[in-house]
Amino acid sequence: MKDFDYKYQTFDRIKSYRNAPREEYYVPGHRTCAGCGPALCYRLVAKAAGKDTIFVGPTGCMYVANSSYLCTPYAVPWTHAQITNGGAVASGVEAAYKVLMRKGKYDGSFPNIIVMAGDGGSVDIGLQAMSALMYRGHKVLFICYDNESYANTGIQTSPTTSYGANTTFTPPGKLIPEGKTLFPKDPPQLVIGGHPLVKYVATANVGYPTDLMNKVRKALSYESPTFMHILCPCPKGWKFDEKLTAEMGKLAVQTGLWTQYEWENGEYKFSHIPKKYKPVDEYLKHQGRFGHLKKEHIAKLQAFADAKKEWAKKAAVSPIEVVAQVPAG
Amino acid sequence: MATEKMLTGCAAAAQGAKFAEVEVICSYPIRPYTAIMMELAKMVANGELDAEFVHGEGEHAQLSVVLGASAAGARAYTGSSGVGVAYAFEVYSPMSGGRYPVQMAIADRALDPPGDFGSEHTDAMSTRDQGWLMGWACSPQEVFDNTLMAYRIGEDPRVLLPQMVCQDGYFVSHIPDKVVLPDVSQVKEFLPPYNPPHPLDPRKPYSHGPQIRPDQGAPMDAQRASAFLEVPKVIKEVTEEFNRIFGRNYDPFLEKYKLDDAEIAFFIQGAHANTCRKVVDKLRSSGVKAGMCRLRWVRPWPTHEIAEALAGIKAVGTIETSTSYGGAMRGGNLIHELRATLYDLPDNERPLVTSFMAGLGGETIWPKDFMYMAEVLSNMVKENRTKKYVYWIGLEPEE
Repeated sequence: MKDFDYKYQTFDRIKSYRNAPREEYYVPGHRTCAGCGPALCYRLVAKAAGKDTIFVGPTGCMYVANSSYLCTPYAVPWTHAQITNGGAVASGVEAAYKVLMRKGKYDGSFPNIIVMAGDGGSVDIGLQAMSALMYRGHKVLFICYDNESYANTGIQTSPTTSYGANTTFTPPGKLIPEGKTLFPKDPPQLVIGGHPLVKYVATANVGYPTDLMNKVRKALSYESPTFMHILCPCPKGWKFDEKLTAEMGKLAVQTGLWTQYEWENGEYKFSHIPKKYKPVDEYLKHQGRFGHLKKEHIAKLQAFADAKKEWAKKAAVSPIEVVAQVPAG
Repeated sequence: MATEKMLTGCAAAAQGAKFAEVEVICSYPIRPYTAIMMELAKMVANGELDAEFVHGEGEHAQLSVVLGASAAGARAYTGSSGVGVAYAFEVYSPMSGGRYPVQMAIADRALDPPGDFGSEHTDAMSTRDQGWLMGWACSPQEVFDNTLMAYRIGEDPRVLLPQMVCQDGYFVSHIPDKVVLPDVSQVKEFLPPYNPPHPLDPRKPYSHGPQIRPDQGAPMDAQRASAFLEVPKVIKEVTEEFNRIFGRNYDPFLEKYKLDDAEIAFFIQGAHANTCRKVVDKLRSSGVKAGMCRLRWVRPWPTHEIAEALAGIKAVGTIETSTSYGGAMRGGNLIHELRATLYDLPDNERPLVTSFMAGLGGETIWPKDFMYMAEVLSNMVKENRTKKYVYWIGLEPEE
């Protein structure tokens, strides 16, 4: 492939939510639930990315409840992908733009190509395509909007569903009183751990919208693949009052069950670390999916949160070395 | 200037893709088609072809990558064989439903189990109802020519459908033969650049592939079906233009070999036609009025052309190089479609039809096998009835 000087977009930092762009690219026309975390996430991502953007949307809530034929909420180009292949379709879109620009068939700047995949489409059935995209080095931002379940099919467990959650595939019963028995997969660590061309990975959360938008902009300014794991509370799946969506995101951080960080060229940068953590029960008690848990189960979740806090402390002072980095230059 | 080269079917396909100036290629290794990608990888590495060469992580990804590329407006190319064709299955319908005219080269190979490298058409034939155009070549030259013709037909605004350009594994894919490569100017005259109506372009946003209500499903299926009604016209036009520009003599749909006064005929697709032709000559020299009808396209199925070509012939045998377990005739696929095709012919013109399971798992179909089939067909004519619907060549009890 010939050397070619691609024209890339640049982004300003958004100082506060009040300074965020007024223009919306995820607009009314969808039929998500009231208080939908993923819909809020979509709106913030689209706002941060702007009009020169192409979304790839693997099957999930943000397909089924959004892209109703003749009534699309996407004011920028959007394409469906199978739940399996968001990473691969986005790779193809990116490869097309590379060659079309090189051949002079497209004279704009390189569009933002963003995959908006749910947890299943990112790290379960979609893992292979996501990992291959990250490995090959396409200029794509892959976002895992995590509502911790297969929600549009009726709240079934996914690899990011919390320990102790009541889902329709992990109902609590006499023999299995806690419901889900496994602890979740860790999407950003999966990406950081084995993809030498990836330079930027971040976690974000709809409880912190300005931070979320700035991380999207930072991710989009890289010429290599980037990954974001965004916590998107789901009132229907988690069974909480729909006015508490942002609050759930904040409580996840305040209890240590969710960690806000950026990983940039091997260095971790943490944010929103509370002076004093709340007990996990402060987060669990609002959510019907945890209503059946006994003390011993809650203790396990507390231990899980404590381990995450310890990890964050260590990672902040002495970054965990990532092997097989690509030599600079 | 046109040049002549000795090329395998795989090398011919790669040359076809190069002359078509494909822009995004997605590879994954599996024998025997993989030699196409090896050729293209060299062309890209040497700067002979300006394309993005993406190493897919599997066949499902290959199809997905070229879907994305085509949606964004690039001419895209991929391929596979055998179980690889099966692994990609989920993406065939989104490709044709999204009307993305990508091309997939297939060098046919048997499916597992057991693991078998041999040629057999079951891989591609299993996808025949997914809305793709599907054609078979029987020589490296035809592979090259079909590559260009399929892009031109698939990208026609009246069509906009993906294409499978199939060749028999090994028999075509790995045996070199003379191929005339055209002058670039001929290709420029024949194949305009890919110009999709609604690409993923931020300057003019469209949504692709939205969720629909059940009542919106049937109209969309009907649209895809009606595109297929347009395809035969386009195939005819394009083949005629191809013949004119490149100096060839293709019938758009069927190779009709000594059919005019034939009493018995072989109905066949793919490379075994090369042996079949020789046997027809031999039969003719011994006084048997034999002929051969070879399918160039399986999708769209050339219904009227076949009925016209076979009307009045006494007995026809399909050469089934793919399987359809438990199907109406208990053997292969072609006989189902052929019998349906001939159903409306008047009684005195409708041939008797049987099928021969042959060339499965990579077996050669030898001249003696065709001679055996001719005997079966001649006996059918003599007795004026179809004794059996399926004969497993080499496995039938001796009579």
